[in-house]
Amino acid sequence: MDFSWSEEQAAFRKEVIRFAKQELNDDLTRRDEEEEFPREFWNKCAQFGIQGLPVPQEYGGGGADTLTTACALEALGYGCKDNGFLFSLNAHMWTSELPLMAFGTEEQKRRYLPKLASGEWIGLHCMTEPMSGSDAYSLKARAERKGNCYVINGSKTFITNTTHGDLFIVFANVDPSKGANGVTGFLVEKGAPGLVLGKKLHKMGLRTSPMSEVALVDCEVPAENVLGKEGSGQAIFTHSMEWERTCILASHLGMMQRLIETCVKYARERQQFGQPIGKYSAIANMVADMEVRLETGRLLLYKAAWLKSQGRHALKEAAMAKLFISEATVQTCLDAIQIHGGYGYMREYEMERDLRDSVSGKIYSGTSEIQRVIIAGFQGL
Amino acid sequence: MSVTNQTPATQSTLKEQIREFIQVQLAEPKGIASFTDDESLMETGVIDSLGIFRLVSFLEEDLKVRVSDEEINAETLKSVNAIEELVIRKKK
Repeated sequence: MDFSWSEEQAAFRKEVIRFAKQELNDDLTRRDEEEEFPREFWNKCAQFGIQGLPVPQEYGGGGADTLTTACALEALGYGCKDNGFLFSLNAHMWTSELPLMAFGTEEQKRRYLPKLASGEWIGLHCMTEPMSGSDAYSLKARAERKGNCYVINGSKTFITNTTHGDLFIVFANVDPSKGANGVTGFLVEKGAPGLVLGKKLHKMGLRTSPMSEVALVDCEVPAENVLGKEGSGQAIFTHSMEWERTCILASHLGMMQRLIETCVKYARERQQFGQPIGKYSAIANMVADMEVRLETGRLLLYKAAWLKSQGRHALKEAAMAKLFISEATVQTCLDAIQIHGGYGYMREYEMERDLRDSVSGKIYSGTSEIQRVIIAGFQGL
Repeated sequence: MSVTNQTPATQSTLKEQIREFIQVQLAEPKGIASFTDDESLMETGVIDSLGIFRLVSFLEEDLKVRVSDEEINAETLKSVNAIEELVIRKKK
């Protein structure tokens, strides 16, 4: 068992932090307020190689292993304060690139992966519907085979990356009598007839990540754009969720580390009753708890990422990492604000944005309640 | 009894292991008392979306076979017999 990063990973981590601090934080308060997705940051990340990290080199990616990719995302979370932007990057990687790598035909991979890895295209998936969230496979979208095409009809909501998206992985049921076994994934390109972006959705946090509704109105998709096979949508979606839950909160680890360092600095400098507030156990204990949460979260995430890098499944481990880190991050944000007192509550100190951003971690990619269902389910309950 | 009609001991043990896991861990908690070796376990509700991954976890950790993402589908993991076939194929 080796808990250390290799020299190469440690150097890469440093370089990602330098890049993120230098290139990915400009004008964030305004962009957050105006819900502006920073496409230029997307392009910079692409040039740096972020989007291509998990993609094999033969498809234009960096071919990094899972732990190295998680390491980079953690470093991004530390150096980049734009959690919404990082969320969009994660959605692109885990719910678009990864399912294509695992289930795509050779032709699909050659057609789409280089564009996704280079950042030229932005990927996303469309699963959630107005009446199906946690009960994802009860979706109402239908796909009907007509000659060499499938015709998809349905409504999707809470879909990330839509307004800038180029490749939509749409889930629809080809045979409702089969229930979840009829759910199928389709690769739908921007501009496909019948693919309609609905109203933009305004979020509490992650406001720089675009989100909207999507309607599929007699949307014709070539039969060769089925991802995997008919009925393999459940496996694809679960695969995406397993990867996403493993890695999406790596950037939250970086955010927690950043907050802890900010709190420690403040607790050393801020004087009350003649001494630094960090000398008071009430404050020191909060910082200690923040540190324990961070290190525990790291162990859970690295274990899940290690399992994935071994080619093993990690549904339970990913659920535990996702559950713990999402809840730990919210608490760490609250503690950071508390330590900073009135200043922490001010927008200028930027912690209220981290808090707003962090709350969604308990909801997306399966709510905390669903993660607990999965973990308990593995115990036979 | 003809020797050729006998199921090899190792395969019999394997099927029993698979059957026992599905019976105890997946079927009984749902109140399903019995199922046949050819029965489609997903269609009858013995294996649901979480059950698939509990089954995969059992195959990987207890039976020491790696199950690829493409193999996690309603055909490959359809029944006790199908799962047994998968494990035997993987162990060859």
